[in-house]
Amino acid sequence: MSRSTITRRDFLKVASVAPLAGALAPALARPAAAENKVRVVLVRDPSPLGPGGAPPADVVQKMLDDGVRALLGETDIGKAWRTLIRPDDTVGIKTNVWRYIPTTTEVEQALKKRVMDAGVPGDRIGIDDRGVLRNPVFQKATALINARPLRSHHWSGVGSLIKNYIMFTPQPAAWHGDTCADLAKIWDLPEVKGKTRLNVLVMFTPLFHGVGPHHYAKEYTWEYKGLILSLDPVAADATGLRILLAKHKEFFGDDRPLQMNPHHIQLADTRHHLGVSDPARIELVKLGWSEGLLI
Amino acid sequence: MSQPTAPGPRLLASYIPVSAGPWLSEADQVFDAGTIFDYIDGAGEVYRSYNMRHLVARRFHKDGRPDIVVDAFDMGSAADAFGVFTHDLDGEDAAIGQGSTYKAGLLSFWKDRYFLSVYAEEETAETKRQLLELGRTIAAAIPGTGEKPGLLKLLPEEGLEAGRVRFFHNHSVLNYHFFVAADDILRLAQTSDAVFADYRESGGRSRLLVVAYADPPAAAKAGESFARAYMPDARQGAGMSTGNRQWTAFRVRGRFVAVVFDVASEAGARARLDAVERLIDGNKRGE
Repeated sequence: MSRSTITRRDFLKVASVAPLAGALAPALARPAAAENKVRVVLVRDPSPLGPGGAPPADVVQKMLDDGVRALLGETDIGKAWRTLIRPDDTVGIKTNVWRYIPTTTEVEQALKKRVMDAGVPGDRIGIDDRGVLRNPVFQKATALINARPLRSHHWSGVGSLIKNYIMFTPQPAAWHGDTCADLAKIWDLPEVKGKTRLNVLVMFTPLFHGVGPHHYAKEYTWEYKGLILSLDPVAADATGLRILLAKHKEFFGDDRPLQMNPHHIQLADTRHHLGVSDPARIELVKLGWSEGLLI
Repeated sequence: MSQPTAPGPRLLASYIPVSAGPWLSEADQVFDAGTIFDYIDGAGEVYRSYNMRHLVARRFHKDGRPDIVVDAFDMGSAADAFGVFTHDLDGEDAAIGQGSTYKAGLLSFWKDRYFLSVYAEEETAETKRQLLELGRTIAAAIPGTGEKPGLLKLLPEEGLEAGRVRFFHNHSVLNYHFFVAADDILRLAQTSDAVFADYRESGGRSRLLVVAYADPPAAAKAGESFARAYMPDARQGAGMSTGNRQWTAFRVRGRFVAVVFDVASEAGARARLDAVERLIDGNKRGE
């Protein structure tokens, strides 16, 4: 065992200068890079949530459209989507069906509408989660859209956009080592490599703490009513994590870490170079409702 | 006492009533260590780390009210049933089974080789009453009781917070309770037993970790590994002041490694390790 492992002692040194050291210490130790920043868009709307946990469909569509426009710097939503999706693409919308906080039908359908508007017929668009490896649309997919909610997770720290692709592996449990440290490697598998055109982290009712085998209790969710969009899944996840940690701190009144270390987000950047996790290298664009922003 | 033969899921299911007040049960789902991810996603790793044999999940439904879910785990041994119960000790004592907690619509308890989670999808005064009643019914139906892990006997009593003792096997679970290092510097394996306990300390809380390895050479290697990675400048048994101005120290004794964290003084760290050593030696004589 080399001395290079990160230990509690290292965290204690960093913690004296950084309150979120448990989750972000390695990034904080690095200087901000000089290259261009990665854009992340956070869009929120105060409309009441429906029984399924999403705002009304027309509100979700507007949030998504506003977010995509801001992300791509294109005012025409049709043009914006045509930079993401070609008419000859076969598109898999990788969703998440977790019983308590799913991606939501509203988000799935808003995405599907814009993919169809970009010229892709409905029979070449798939929406799936656990069946992606058996789904013929996903098997032929030339483009993927990755959409899932952010939540605290009992093994990986958080259920993230990076983690959402674990269902593209025949044995998801094989990626659980070191609390899912190397999930970003999944993004090198041929089923997904280079195909992701947009990442949407759903923040309508994030879960910031969990209990029991199902790791869920409604009292540890809150109505944030947001979507985070980015072309970079790591930057989107890192931004969502900052919000989740801020809520966690607000609720518990101290800097206790999440139940499990979400280090797979950090490592997706520093070890696997999938994207950017350092807030100093992320350009965060905030749109819409600003109350309780937390970031 | 634990039952001599391995009980199957059908026996475990028989401990769960078919109704809970006005809630009626749906069909059972049964999972094992290979299929648990189909039910509870990556959180299944926690139960696998405690050697789970199978899980019987029974959902209770009543129109207009939150569903109630009973997840009954056969952990294969009382030690692991106790261990998985200690994975989350937050909550109020519900006085059910051989140890229990209730919080946020979740009742957890252990009895014999079984760990039970009784959960309401939304907490109300009615569901809380129902969960507790359901828990008492299940606990009463389980005929046996189990022994806590023998390793707990190596925890010195002075200052021990009895309700903050965790038993486990692997490095990820240790880090869940108390982050030690990103790598498995203590060389924990599924075959090692570990106990981690909180102690009252002047002005705060210190921790004690005791790990039982397969044999003394394995413990010696683990001690060397820990020293090299965590406190390379300290000799065994001596304390090292860590970044929070508290003391960490470790000691290897036979097939055991003991580590104290966050003790207020070096003398205090040494005294705690001395006490563990006396208990190890006394335990050996008693074996």
